Amino acid sequence: MSRAAAAVGRIDWSLIGLVVLLGTISVVNLHSSSMAAGSEVYLRHLYWLLLGLGVMVGVAAVDYRNLQRLAPPFYATVVVLLALVLVVGKEVNGSRRWLDLGFVGFQPSELAKLAIILTLASWFQRYPRPGGYGLRDVIPVGLLLGVPMFLVLQEPDLGHTLMLMFIGGSMLAFEKFDRRAMVTVLFVGLAAAPLLWQFVLRDYQKDRILTLVDAEADTRGAGWHARQSRVAVGSGGLLGKGHGDGTQVAGGFLPENHTDFVFANLAEEHGFVGGGVVLGIYLLIVLGALRSASLARDKFGGHVAVGVGALVFWHVVMNMGMVLNVLPVTGVTLPLLSYGGTSVLTVMAAMGLLLNINLRRTVF
Amino acid sequence: MSDVFLDSSAVGYQHRVRRLAVAVLVVFGGLLARLAQLQLVNGDELQEAAVRNFVRTVRLPADRGTIKDRHGRALAINRPSFDLYVTPARVEDIDALLSGLRDVLGLDELDLVRLREKVEQPRGMWRHQPFRVAQDIDRQRVALAEALRARVDGISIRVRYSREYPEGVVGAHLVGYLGKPRADELQGENEGRYTAESMLGRFGLERAWEHELAGQDGFERHAVNARGVKQRGGWADRAMSDTVTRQAPERGKDLVLTVDIDVQRILHKALARYESGAAVVVDPRDGSVLGILSKPSFDPNSWSGRLSKEDYRAVADNPYLPMLDKSVHSYFPGSIYKPITALAALEEGVLDAGEPIDSPGSYEYGNRIFHCHKRSGHGAVDLNGAMAASADVYFYKLGERLGIDTQAIYARRFGLGEPSGVGINGDAPGIVPTKAYHDEHTKGGFQHGLALSTAIGQGDVRTSPVQMAMAYAALANGGTVFRPRVVERIETDDREVVQRFEPEVRGDLAATPEHLSAVTKALERAVNDEKLATGHLAGVDYGLIAGKTGTAQVRKIIRGHMRQSVKRFRDRDHAWFAAFAPYESPKVVVVVFLEHGGSGGKEAAPVARQIIEAYHQQIEPIFSTTAANEVRRRR
Repeated sequence: MSRAAAAVGRIDWSLIGLVVLLGTISVVNLHSSSMAAGSEVYLRHLYWLLLGLGVMVGVAAVDYRNLQRLAPPFYATVVVLLALVLVVGKEVNGSRRWLDLGFVGFQPSELAKLAIILTLASWFQRYPRPGGYGLRDVIPVGLLLGVPMFLVLQEPDLGHTLMLMFIGGSMLAFEKFDRRAMVTVLFVGLAAAPLLWQFVLRDYQKDRILTLVDAEADTRGAGWHARQSRVAVGSGGLLGKGHGDGTQVAGGFLPENHTDFVFANLAEEHGFVGGGVVLGIYLLIVLGALRSASLARDKFGGHVAVGVGALVFWHVVMNMGMVLNVLPVTGVTLPLLSYGGTSVLTVMAAMGLLLNINLRRTVF
Repeated sequence: MSDVFLDSSAVGYQHRVRRLAVAVLVVFGGLLARLAQLQLVNGDELQEAAVRNFVRTVRLPADRGTIKDRHGRALAINRPSFDLYVTPARVEDIDALLSGLRDVLGLDELDLVRLREKVEQPRGMWRHQPFRVAQDIDRQRVALAEALRARVDGISIRVRYSREYPEGVVGAHLVGYLGKPRADELQGENEGRYTAESMLGRFGLERAWEHELAGQDGFERHAVNARGVKQRGGWADRAMSDTVTRQAPERGKDLVLTVDIDVQRILHKALARYESGAAVVVDPRDGSVLGILSKPSFDPNSWSGRLSKEDYRAVADNPYLPMLDKSVHSYFPGSIYKPITALAALEEGVLDAGEPIDSPGSYEYGNRIFHCHKRSGHGAVDLNGAMAASADVYFYKLGERLGIDTQAIYARRFGLGEPSGVGINGDAPGIVPTKAYHDEHTKGGFQHGLALSTAIGQGDVRTSPVQMAMAYAALANGGTVFRPRVVERIETDDREVVQRFEPEVRGDLAATPEHLSAVTKALERAVNDEKLATGHLAGVDYGLIAGKTGTAQVRKIIRGHMRQSVKRFRDRDHAWFAAFAPYESPKVVVVVFLEHGGSGGKEAAPVARQIIEAYHQQIEPIFSTTAANEVRRRR
């Protein structure tokens, strides 16, 4: 069997299938909110998906071990962009998250997630510690993770700050740290939490967290989004109201129904069955990523696969947690389902990384 | 498997991947459980919340039934009033709108500046909220506004119905007025029946017949979006498909009264000189109330709706209590009560109508002296003389012979001591005192002297004008005590009768006809006896009437005996006159009550005469020509 034939044999068709399925669901779902808004969001989303497929194939084509060398300059570029967005970013609703490229807006914080994944993976590859990582390793890892987190928090974008923390944290959880290091990190984290609440979180962010504690307290202000989302999901019942007949979306009661709350739209119109299917697809993708991690040829590949899995996992948890009213309202998107160019391209690139790692995994 | 990773910790990675996978499964399982909780457990409740979001219910208020007099003339109607609204979101050309409204409504520059602000200021969904620019604009302006609406966007005209009482102060107590519901009336058994915008009966017939008059509000439901804009077709139609979208309002029923507006006007005019009192006219043949009036009055038009401070003050500061319906409130009847005592004495066999009884200026009984209103006394008089002169001692003696409890039996036969059944504004039962009553309520308990003062309508006796009207009707009609009938029938908008109220007999005097006619004859003498009649000022030229004066003391007689007009209002006597006419075949009963009005003979009797004459001249000729001639010949 030739190398090429062997490679084709290792293409993860199931992952591609899941991505295409999810993309199709997202276009159909966005068609519904497009009808309500009288726009053609679903078409533009389709174009982004097609472009994303290209990115995915592109990322998968190059041997990922070359990407390892590109990680440091990519990281540096992202940090510069994150700093730049604070200065020249387009201000929307009091925060600067977008770089305006003229024809299209672009969110550096999306790229930061990929940068963190690639950089941490390459750091672990470069500094193997067979006996486990110690306290002195916490500092460089903490800096690599902390700098982009700090910059994203300045935008301010609590959702993405948390995403970076969770993705980084998940990758650390995949490594072995000695007890002393773990205890130290735990204590620093606990000590930092009240300080964060006091000095870093903005009032609206605190409101959103407090709303969770008492969701009915303020149904017009911070609780409004959460309340309407719960009504949309719950009113969907087992089978949903049918495509285009979600009253919460069609009547405009559900805010952000094509981006942050897109899952509420789906759950309203397609019910528990539709929501369960989508949740299942994400589960398969995340488990697939973990499987890739365990089969990867080297430490870098394994860590990248865990990072990609963490990216999808935390996006799904934070977004659905928000939609289902168990987590605060943070503007975290649902991978591929939420409308948004940068988000789609980032996720597709991440899927490309997974395909890449699977292509070059150990042959049994 | 040992060569998965190039370093030696491969087994550790495998282990950790498995742990992460378990964690992922647990968390996703949690999300699925939460999804199931919202959609399968809380689904119905949240579906209702979704419906509340997009379904807007607009109340369709039912037209209130009207109130008409016996000839179908309006006492309470609904008048359409037009309000002009502007919806900021629909305004395209604000300058055209403002200049148009200036011409139509006659707005000044300041109004226009304010109006512009109101159109331009609202943001978001508030822009879709219409606001009222003018209220109750006249018909000519409505036409102009309609024309403007065709040219300029953003204007709407809404119709609402407001209650109007064409007769105003005449009969205000009878018809009543409307008011907004109190908070507690929006809950409980009325839940959903009224809204904060509803108007419900607060007084008079409007209140007593609220249920029939109000009708049933309907509703209209439609789908709206988050900005409150009506949605049609597509999702909205499908979402509304299993919702009742319209229920027509059910108009209230009309009341047709036995009352005659013209009689009301006669009463209003007859009592014009008096601050406080009441007058009642009934048909003794069936108990129909032809007129019923209380003074002072109030304007129900201003009380049903936008009550101005001045209108409120005028009523609240009036010492004569305009909001008390004096036609159904109870007072000392005084001497108009004497026929009841007389009939009781005749029936009990303790009196013969022709028996002369000595009637001096005072009567000592027990250790008390009971005075007559005439200190010189009347000498020995029979029933006719005693009634004509209103000889108090004669009736004291009857009271002594009867005892208080026997008097009470007869008073109750006349329908006293319990509500008359007129059914409005409290309908006071009054008091028919008995031995047991006094033991309970009087300091020192019952004393025998109380039977004497009861016999002349003092003591603790209380009756309302409407009760006395029904009692005199019973004397006039041969003994039947009717329930005063105000509402003749309930009918629909198309004059289809829903319910007709026949005359209702409450009881019978069960008196021997000779005794009854002895009493009515005595009452005739009380008006027409040339020498003795205290009620001679009630006499009319058209024929004979029967009646009795009453001058009820409200304060113990003070030695020195001031003239009534000099006394403080509160200390003056109540002036009464109760009559029926014509004497031979009674067709009307008239009761006049002037609160603290002074002498019954001097004040109330002429008022009654004026009412009877006006009735004969304007409403129905009740006296025959021969009777008139007879009267003239005798004079």
